Formats: sequence, structure tokens, C-alpha cells
Amino acid sequence: MKHLLLKLEPLIWLLFGQGILIGTMLLTGWILVVGLLLPLGVVSPAALGYDRAHDLASSLVGRVFLLALCALPLWKGAHHVRSLSIDFGGVNRDAAVATLVYALAAAGSLAAIIAVVRL
Amino acid sequence: MARPVHPHAMAASRPGRTRTAPPQAASGWYAQPRMLRYLLFDATGILYLIAGFGVLRALWALGSGEEAWQAFLDRLHSPLYLAFHALALVCVVFVAVRFFRLFPKAQPAHIGPAKPPPQPVILAGLYAAWIGVTLVVSLILAGWIF
Repeated sequence: MKHLLLKLEPLIWLLFGQGILIGTMLLTGWILVVGLLLPLGVVSPAALGYDRAHDLASSLVGRVFLLALCALPLWKGAHHVRSLSIDFGGVNRDAAVATLVYALAAAGSLAAIIAVVRL
Repeated sequence: MARPVHPHAMAASRPGRTRTAPPQAASGWYAQPRMLRYLLFDATGILYLIAGFGVLRALWALGSGEEAWQAFLDRLHSPLYLAFHALALVCVVFVAVRFFRLFPKAQPAHIGPAKPPPQPVILAGLYAAWIGVTLVVSLILAGWIF
């Protein structure tokens, strides 16, 4: 498994790097509006009513945006959780932790692809 | 108490003639301010994982019809969700500020025949892109444009 992880490292680092850069840029507005301003009543509920939300999300740009918004933070999260595990003495369990967190990110990314296709 | 660290940490690129003891982390290493900030940066990964799956949940609800989407929006009013999103926003800003400061320093001296722009220009570009993307995404989601 360690050998496979080393082979996949360039791909993992690419997704991790884009997770920090693009994931952070996209997440800020999403968390601000959907997570805070909408429930606090600053933004009208009509703005994300089903019809408008579905129209926005099901466009090509909307699907690509939502796929990046979902998948990239997962890879940033997975890689940093692995790094945190190593920092706290998890060298011996690294292969298992890495496999688990990257599998989680891969499963989430696959589910995100299915989710944007079925919109 | 001192404890062993990653076997490759601080290792020489090629083995020397003199054998050295394995590297040890100093006691209380995690409480030192620089290390604490580094660990917090890593720990934001937990929030990013949850936030990513949160977006997936939203996507799935949207694809499942009006009722499921409305149920998702209603859940966002829970204090637990609000607290999580407030913490997630702080984390995202922390990651952006720390990463943007690091990014210009990590650029190679040359990219082919070209030299990368000066560090302050890269930093300003990153902040401009972040603020611009956040503004556009926020205005669209809030229904103020489009």
C-alpha cells in the first residue's frame, strides 16, 4: 500500500494543492451565504428557492463549480488529517490512515460526480 | 517528554560515515507558538472534510427534489449548523491568509525562460482573486446578481 501511495503522490498533491487554493476561494462565499447569511435571514429564502437553485446548479458552469466546491476541500481535508496523524506520532499507522482518508475523499468525489450528473 | 519523530525528518540526503541517533521531538513541542499555528493549519483539514461532505449533502438534496432541498435548507437554521459554519468561515480565512503568505515564497526562481512576478505582486493577485471569487459567488448565491 505504501508503494501505491508513493506512486499516487503527484496526483494526491495536485488535488490537495487545488483543495487549498481553489477550494478555499470557493468555500468562503458558500459558507458565508448558505451557512450563515441565509439561515440568519440576511439573504431572502427566495434566493435559494428550489427552482432558482436547481437552474443555477444544473447549468454546465454550476455543475463544474459544485463539483470543485465539494471534491477539492475533501482532498485538502484528507491530506491534512493524514499530516496531523503523522505529527502526533502516527508514523507506524500512516499507511492505514492515508488509505482511509484518501479513500474517504475519493468516495466523496465519486459521489459528487454522481450528484452533479443527476441534477 | 521527548519521543521519536518521523524517521525521515531532518535526515541527511545521503547516509554519512558517522551513525547518528534517531531524531527526537522536544517535550511540549506542540505548545510552541509556531508549531501550534502549523498544527492548527493541519487541523482545519477536519473542517474541510466535513464542509466537503456538507456540500455533497446539499447537492444530493437538490437532486432529490423540492421537498428534500427544503428540508436541507431548514436544517441550516439549527444552532449546531450555524456554529459549525461560523467556525468553518474562521478556518477558511485562516487557511487563506496563511497559505497566500506561503505561496509566493514557494515559487521556483525560473519557470522555463520566465521569472515569476515579484512576491508582493503574487500576494496581491491571490488576495484579489480570493476577494473577487468570494464576491461573485456570494452575490450569485444571494440572488443579487443573475
